[in-house]
Amino acid sequence: MIELLERADPAMGLEIDQARLRARVDERLGLSTRLWPEVSAGRRPWIIAVASFVAVLTVAIPLLLLHVRPSVNAPDLDGITDLPGFDEAIPLASGGLQLMVADGDTVWVMTTLQNLLQRVSAGSGDIEATYPIDARIEGVVVGDGHLWLMTTDDGGGVLRFSPASGVVDLTIPIGGAPGWAQWFGDNLWVSNDHGELVQIAAGGEIVSRRPGDLKGGEGLGHLWVNDPETGLISSLAEDSTLGEIVIPTLDGLETANGWGVRQVTESAGKLWLLDGDYPFGTNLSIFDPDTGELSSFGGLTFGLLDLIEYNGYLWVTSHTDHLLIRVDPATGDIRRYPVPGKAGGLVVAGGDLWLTLYHPGALVRLDTGADLIEAGEIVADDWNRFPHRMLCTGTADAGGPTVILQSADWIEYGSMSVVQAKLSNEGYTVCANGYVDGEASPEQRAVDLEEALVEAGINGPYVLVAAGDGVHAIRLFADGRDDIAGVVLVDPMPIGFQAFYDDLLPGFGTPPWLDLDAEVSTSLTDFGDSPLMVIGQDPDAVFLSQPFIQDAEREKAEAANMYWQDGLAFYAGLSTDSRSIVANDTGFDGIIWFQADLVVGEVLDVLGMTDTE
Amino acid sequence: MSRSNVVDDQTDRGLRFDPLFNTHYDAIYRYCARRLGGSDAEDAAADVFAVAWRRLDQMPPGDSTRAWLYGVAYRVVANQYRSRRRRTGLTTRLQALAGVGGDDADRDPTTGSEVDLVLMALDGMSPTDRELIRLSAWDGLTRVEIAHVLGINENAVDQRLHRARARLKTRFDLLVAQSPRTEPREASA
Repeated sequence: MIELLERADPAMGLEIDQARLRARVDERLGLSTRLWPEVSAGRRPWIIAVASFVAVLTVAIPLLLLHVRPSVNAPDLDGITDLPGFDEAIPLASGGLQLMVADGDTVWVMTTLQNLLQRVSAGSGDIEATYPIDARIEGVVVGDGHLWLMTTDDGGGVLRFSPASGVVDLTIPIGGAPGWAQWFGDNLWVSNDHGELVQIAAGGEIVSRRPGDLKGGEGLGHLWVNDPETGLISSLAEDSTLGEIVIPTLDGLETANGWGVRQVTESAGKLWLLDGDYPFGTNLSIFDPDTGELSSFGGLTFGLLDLIEYNGYLWVTSHTDHLLIRVDPATGDIRRYPVPGKAGGLVVAGGDLWLTLYHPGALVRLDTGADLIEAGEIVADDWNRFPHRMLCTGTADAGGPTVILQSADWIEYGSMSVVQAKLSNEGYTVCANGYVDGEASPEQRAVDLEEALVEAGINGPYVLVAAGDGVHAIRLFADGRDDIAGVVLVDPMPIGFQAFYDDLLPGFGTPPWLDLDAEVSTSLTDFGDSPLMVIGQDPDAVFLSQPFIQDAEREKAEAANMYWQDGLAFYAGLSTDSRSIVANDTGFDGIIWFQADLVVGEVLDVLGMTDTE
Repeated sequence: MSRSNVVDDQTDRGLRFDPLFNTHYDAIYRYCARRLGGSDAEDAAADVFAVAWRRLDQMPPGDSTRAWLYGVAYRVVANQYRSRRRRTGLTTRLQALAGVGGDDADRDPTTGSEVDLVLMALDGMSPTDRELIRLSAWDGLTRVEIAHVLGINENAVDQRLHRARARLKTRFDLLVAQSPRTEPREASA
């Protein structure tokens, strides 16, 4: 039989054109193989590098555009402060890593899109002052009574800002775009993109330059620098001695420049290193200075950004998963707390822990002693091709239908983390499904959801909740099923909206929204008589908002709104038992963040209907 | 992440990727071809290596690399089936999902050679059984590698593979008995 099988191998005798296949791979990577014959092998990596950098920029620019979108909403940050432990939420503080710094009882935040430097009182939560900065700033450091602003403008440099006068009083070119920066001892240390570590005195003089790549944070009385000579992370002392302590390598942890270790901090006499290989880095590692050994603490989740020690715990933000993670360094206990947005940087000011939410754009003061809502366990994790995730809470003996939360394509699976936590607290099994980054089609998402549920042994009936373009995957998943107990659609994306919008408003940056082929849509079964709630956007907060009308002209704004409202009506028609409501003052993704209670209430209504049937 | 760091990383990535591609392209292409046929196989294999490029830092080293790549290929091929399913209509969604690899369902058992009959027997098996046998017989993966690709433990591979081979033999013998053009033969599992 084996011999017969071997003879039956369809690939037997198959001739494979290696060059042709490689060209297909390169096409997918955005690289041109046509260049290779004209370029020596030694230069190929450089071309790959340049092409890849262009690709990175191509990805980065739409991400920035995403950040502009809330300006057409009117975010109500009360939704954030309704959550336990979220004591203060201050708008416009879009600072991410290195864009927020504490100085005693003051938090300084750089809001990058508006180029505004804000001074926030950690005591009152008031924005005490706002300073326009005439440069693009990518890092803020406090030292010697000044703020030091890292700018990529004019070839890269550092601006010295005087809080007393409220102006930039010195510009220091550093010969390249700045990377990480730290105030240490009496000097500013900053990396630039030529692989140099630049030492700047308080007066602005450049004291030294040396090869090296600075890591974020400090610990064990040192800064930590990747030494390109050894490829290892080495200590940097205040007297600028490099390499008194050298951290060894560890399987699975990149220690080299750039990718790899992003941030370090000290806790319990050890140095903790955060794997910042965004978004796939997941691990914390521990360096023990007594033994000189580096060991793995283990995985936390994807998209790790910042690491800080506060009140005896390590605190880590996950950008993609919308989580704040607390690690007890003594016991190894890990707690994951959902946050209402994309978690960014952390600082301690005025004795409190402060967190930035990059999107929707808020600076939040946390009461870590409060009863923070906890996130659940991840039951599906990285299905190889796409970083697909399904995180389920309350899986043990919850009873009743399982709630499936299907995120919109471009805002990751953790985007409904607050909705999930609140529903779990009501005693239901809730699974958040989605991707760490978006590449999968709606069809793929539907099948991955189905497979993940089967793998996890989570059976119907299901109540389906979809946000934005997540509606397409949910409809595909529900097609022909008889175990759908109810559906809640949160501002669902109309069929064909991307093409319509692009035609209507060419040049307006939008995310690459997912769409569903109109014929496919027509072929899908509807939701029958299952309860269906459609939560629609408030037109006055989105397309008919004054800023949008100004940008798009009233006629086009009204056309966009009309298309969207028609879409909402279409979805409401998918069940004979449907209800439509409007989320006042917001729309798009804002609803799941700013009006989580509204979504939770509607889901509970649907669950209530299924309980009584 | 400074720009130079991005560039450094991509340079390093290119140097690490080339040998990986050169070593495994043949096997991965064949894996895809066995399940998808010619033109789709090329797309799928290219997808596999595009994923490998992006996930180079997460790829396990040494002998585990091959199993990791097959794991990606397994998902990519599944995606291709999903695309086909969409093309052939969503009403046949479940049937198509269950019929992974069932391209030869119309083969006539009364006219087939032994090779045809063994392929028919294989087509009639469950997707998991079929994939186990293909990975073992055609792709030459070890039980450890098969376990990785299918996401099951090694003991389960042993047990399932044993049962799958027995089922294949039973189905093959039945088809041989039905076929007037093929002399009954003693097939060994």
